[in-house]
Amino acid sequence: MSQVPLLISKGDYFHGHFFCMASPCEVLIETQDTLLANHILQQVVVQTSRIEQKYSRYIAGNLVDRINHSNNSWVQIDQETHRLLAFGQTCFELSGGMFDLTSGVLRKIWDFTGNGQFPQPEQVADILKHIGWQHVEFTEQHIRLPVGFELDFGGIGKEYAVDAAAKLCTKLAPTISVLVNFGGDIQVTRPRHQHAYWQVGIESPQPDKSPQRNESPQRNESPQRDESPQQVAPFQPTEDAAKNTYAMVKIASGGLATSGDARRFIMHNNVRYSHILNPKTGYPVTGAPRSVTVATDFCIQSGMIATMALLQGSEAQHFLQAQHQKHWCYW
Amino acid sequence: MQLIKSKNLSVSLAAAACALLNVGAQAEEAPADEWKFDTAILYYGETDRVQLAEGVFNANKDFGDQRIFNGKIAIDTLTGASASGAVAQQEAQTFTRPSGNGQYVVNPEETPLDDTFQDTRVQLSAQWTQPLWENMTGSTGVHLSKEYDYLSLGVNGSLARDFNQKNTTVSAGVSYQYDSIDPVGEAPVGLTSMVVDTGQFADETLFDAAFDATRTTDSKDKNTVDLLLGVTQVINRRMLMQFNYSYSVADGYLTDPYKLLSVVNSEGITQDILHENRPDKRTKQSFYWQTKYASDYGIADVSYRYATDDWDIDSHTFDSRFRVQLTDNSYLQPHFRYYQQSAADFYQPFLVEGTLLPSVASADYRLGEMTAYTIGLKYGQMLDNGKEWAVRLEYYQQSPKNAGFDEPGALQGLDLYPSIDAVIAQVSYSF
Repeated sequence: MSQVPLLISKGDYFHGHFFCMASPCEVLIETQDTLLANHILQQVVVQTSRIEQKYSRYIAGNLVDRINHSNNSWVQIDQETHRLLAFGQTCFELSGGMFDLTSGVLRKIWDFTGNGQFPQPEQVADILKHIGWQHVEFTEQHIRLPVGFELDFGGIGKEYAVDAAAKLCTKLAPTISVLVNFGGDIQVTRPRHQHAYWQVGIESPQPDKSPQRNESPQRNESPQRDESPQQVAPFQPTEDAAKNTYAMVKIASGGLATSGDARRFIMHNNVRYSHILNPKTGYPVTGAPRSVTVATDFCIQSGMIATMALLQGSEAQHFLQAQHQKHWCYW
Repeated sequence: MQLIKSKNLSVSLAAAACALLNVGAQAEEAPADEWKFDTAILYYGETDRVQLAEGVFNANKDFGDQRIFNGKIAIDTLTGASASGAVAQQEAQTFTRPSGNGQYVVNPEETPLDDTFQDTRVQLSAQWTQPLWENMTGSTGVHLSKEYDYLSLGVNGSLARDFNQKNTTVSAGVSYQYDSIDPVGEAPVGLTSMVVDTGQFADETLFDAAFDATRTTDSKDKNTVDLLLGVTQVINRRMLMQFNYSYSVADGYLTDPYKLLSVVNSEGITQDILHENRPDKRTKQSFYWQTKYASDYGIADVSYRYATDDWDIDSHTFDSRFRVQLTDNSYLQPHFRYYQQSAADFYQPFLVEGTLLPSVASADYRLGEMTAYTIGLKYGQMLDNGKEWAVRLEYYQQSPKNAGFDEPGALQGLDLYPSIDAVIAQVSYSF
């Protein structure tokens, strides 16, 4: 984190902004108390930086780095890490092995920056030997990874940081509504006093393309989350999201997360492959929507459903409908 | 791929998310309108003087929409002695107890103290605050304080209005307080001589008659009205500033019935002991400025107060705290306070025999010239369950000064302005 956090008054709320986890991060705080807003922002920055430092796979010497270079020996972990691993275990089981915290090694052969080469089949077969959550052993105090395996919290780290930040805000100011938004992964702590909800734009997966009417998302109109129609609140998009939004979402409380390939893809024989990789085959999923947004109680819950939906490929829509959670699907 | 094709997956993920975040299901989360309690135990101890122990129980409840109730109970016990106002002498001095029952003797060169000081006080207060209409907040409260010989009742009300997108708040308030004192042995008539039995009375009834002649059953009530005007201004995202002006009028019995005044001759030898007498009205104004600044390292809180009254007591108070965040959950807060006041125009450390007796006079050290400072340190910690505890330790020193009075003869070798050292210790817990 190199940027100094900024705090700007927006009338009946404060807008805090900083950069962390390779994403623009913002915190909207419904208070006029500058000192309180500043305190909340500072604490969120401190905690988010801590999580990034601890779980980023790019930082030499941190916990993840030590685990990934442990050579099949036991590494001591703390309670927080154990909870993350247990969450990963649950997701692995619920997804039938499609969500796997060890699948990050696939990035060694897949480059989704837009200029990447399509790997050779031998390369894929080779790397698959180092994937498989079922080979990881862990207890409440220790973890052991087979040689060549790597742990990668990239699939849940940002969503976890969002929820952890929201939890911190609730602790610091239980009566104040706070929206935490780290690069489109969002959690709202409680309903607002002034407008009942925050209004958030969901970003278009293609930043250069203006939204068109016929591309409006297919919405699951399950009624339990959205009490609309209500009178529309003053337009309050989260910063930077306004220009390429294709849907405006009202969130009273709870989490929202988007999974998609807006910027991360690989072209091969004129086919655009998504960055969602199937850890069982070692290849990207095809036929999946470009972007899926899900709203549930927690950001990390939403993110996991969105990711699992993309892993379903062309069946994503059916999968989402079966979950009975509010969602937006962009093909 | 065989994914669970039902709501079960969402439910399972929600449960997993709760476990990950170490929270209960959202519906079970604590409601915002829970009671919040602050408790504290405080000890204040002066070397060889007054000792005070106080327990405070404070309750807050937010009923939503910024409608807030605050209730407070404080109980304190005071023991020990404070300076009576009479001057030390080379010889032992005999004084009559305030009740008229019995005497006490003060050793040579010792500051006379009223040695029967003991009291328990109970204070109750309640305050209600709520928004009245757009940008306007109203607050009203009552308080009651009772000790053995003292009763205090008060009501207050205030209005605050926000301007400039709530960056500026202007407030105005008024409070009224009624105090009634019922002194042990009735209040003495001001500037009458203390009746001391040195064998001149043939029997107890004669002493009692002489004692009663110095007593009055006039009303010992006091009415105080305070007006307060304040402005709070957000300077920037890190700084807040506040200005307050208050005007206070107290009317009624303002004398301390237990304070004394020595009359000495030109050699400094005590000839008589008088009961003090103060004016029956006091008008006071105070100007207060406070700034809070939140830096990356902590929060600074600095304030200055200037107060002046028609008794000619002018005071300056400088107070500063700096809260240093040690970790996410703990802080250290050094505290420094400096206080200075000039003497009341009727303050007399003693009267000299043969000079004209004034209509009002007091030797109470609290009305004399003095400086005082406090240094302290507070450590606080927020626990994982959201509860908070703190401990505070402070040292206080009060140094009364001679406001330009000549000290005749024997008084020159005596400490007429003894300083007071005190230790303050407090433990608090919020839940």
